[in-house]
Amino acid sequence: MENVLAINNLSKRFGRIQAVNNVSLQVKAGQVFGMLGPNGSGKTTTLGMLMGVVNPTAGNFTWFGQPPTDHIRRRIGAVLEHPIFYPYLSGRKNLELNAMIKQCPTENITKVLALVELAERQDDAYKTYSLGMKQRLAIASALLNDPDVLILDEPTNGLDPMGIAGIRELIIRIAAGGKTIILASHLLDEVQRVCTHFAILKKGTLVHHGPVHDVGKGTETVEVKADAPDLSQVLLAFPGTSSVNRENGSFQVHLREQFNATDLNRFLFEKDIVASHLVTRQKSLEQQFLEILAES
Amino acid sequence: MLQLLRIDLKKMTSYRTFWVVCGLYFMTLGFGAASGMEFLKWLASFIDGFGQEINIGRIPLYHFPDVWLNLIWCAGLLKVILAVMVVISITNEYTYRTLRQNIIDGLSRGEFLLSKILTNVLLSLMSMTMIFVIGLVTGMIYSPSLELNRILTDLEFLPAYFLEVFFFLSYALMLGILIQRSGLTIILLLLSQLIEFIITSNLDDYLPGVIPFFPMESIRNLITFPFPRYAFSEIRDYISPGAAAIVLVWTFVFNYISYRKLKRSDI
Repeated sequence: MENVLAINNLSKRFGRIQAVNNVSLQVKAGQVFGMLGPNGSGKTTTLGMLMGVVNPTAGNFTWFGQPPTDHIRRRIGAVLEHPIFYPYLSGRKNLELNAMIKQCPTENITKVLALVELAERQDDAYKTYSLGMKQRLAIASALLNDPDVLILDEPTNGLDPMGIAGIRELIIRIAAGGKTIILASHLLDEVQRVCTHFAILKKGTLVHHGPVHDVGKGTETVEVKADAPDLSQVLLAFPGTSSVNRENGSFQVHLREQFNATDLNRFLFEKDIVASHLVTRQKSLEQQFLEILAES
Repeated sequence: MLQLLRIDLKKMTSYRTFWVVCGLYFMTLGFGAASGMEFLKWLASFIDGFGQEINIGRIPLYHFPDVWLNLIWCAGLLKVILAVMVVISITNEYTYRTLRQNIIDGLSRGEFLLSKILTNVLLSLMSMTMIFVIGLVTGMIYSPSLELNRILTDLEFLPAYFLEVFFFLSYALMLGILIQRSGLTIILLLLSQLIEFIITSNLDDYLPGVIPFFPMESIRNLITFPFPRYAFSEIRDYISPGAAAIVLVWTFVFNYISYRKLKRSDI
């Protein structure tokens, strides 16, 4: 598949602080790529370099297989950190200005305003908008030029649950249209729901990258409840058990490789124990994220 | 080019401060320039109180060709108002962080600067046109003779005035880009004449030769103070090519520094 973005050994140093350290990765067409990392891990700095506002100290990158130019950024819709607009201009005038910069037809403005449900407030000054409306206007502005790539940096920051759900739905809808999306977030649940691939940054260094569906592969954890007094001993006696924890009245059994819930169920049945509750716990991205950060 | 100018004007034309400052500037310029005779009358009545008399009819303030240099020199005092507007326009881009978003949206740093410089050119052209019209009208009213060659004499100070305004707006733009905070920039802008004056008066004893090369001094050499000619002094009523060259070089340097700074910084 075609590389939309290829980053080679990109670094940025601010004085004594190494904000981004030798990061290399590729984003291919059609991927929804999640950039994860704690606050201050270099996500926004990396995106800033990709969008031409931060000069890299070392390394390079290509967009659509070409060295970056100023005009290539018009094919990319981006919102970094938080929405930025002229506070005294109305939402529509701000978008008209963006359309002039991106050199795209003004007809798109009505379309994107409707998409983010801001048509009613379009003539009010930007400074009168609520945070959610500002975020939505930023997404509208990023979509203005019908870009091939969309970069969203914490798009759900500060939104209420309805707003978050609305934006998630919007991202899934945009991704379904075949656009490549780069999503920086620390809401891991969000990333797991919408992303196909993800990368983790820690103190400016890339510590992990890969497809989201690989998360949860590997050893299984099974949650078991049963009406048996010696359940914990029985569970420990199972050859596939690596450890057992008791949590909220049920047992969390971590299995060894090549054992799964079926084997455990069969074993319990042979011991005359019928489980009232038996669930395979998928490892969440959150667990994986914390593990990777702890290991690195 | 025109597209870039349109972008910057779009930012400004919905900004109320812009209209207020520009309105004040052009109104002061207009009324101020047109009320020279009133000023002379006041001066005459003031001097009258000391038992002396001047005949204001004999001071050809608005006669062609004197009117050009008189108006242009006085109008030069007001350029600082326009410069404050330029400072607000550029420092807003930093405080609202819209400079960053403009770049993200696909403008190059050079194009961003060019859009600001083009606005400066437009404001300078408007000032020059305004002075031309006022000079023509007041000259027509007060001049005893309307010979074409008298009207056209000294008209070369008009482009010099354009250069003066554009030079100063370029300076304001550069300060704004270097300092990025409106308050501090405006204070420094207002003080720069004074600071330069302190430096040059200290240099006067040692290196008088370098003084004409100072930026504010070069403007004073480009457009001479015209009023001593009414006190029987000779003034230079032509443009010195040397002074014009120094002003041009400074204008280029200011804009180049702005470009370098924008190009190199993380925004």
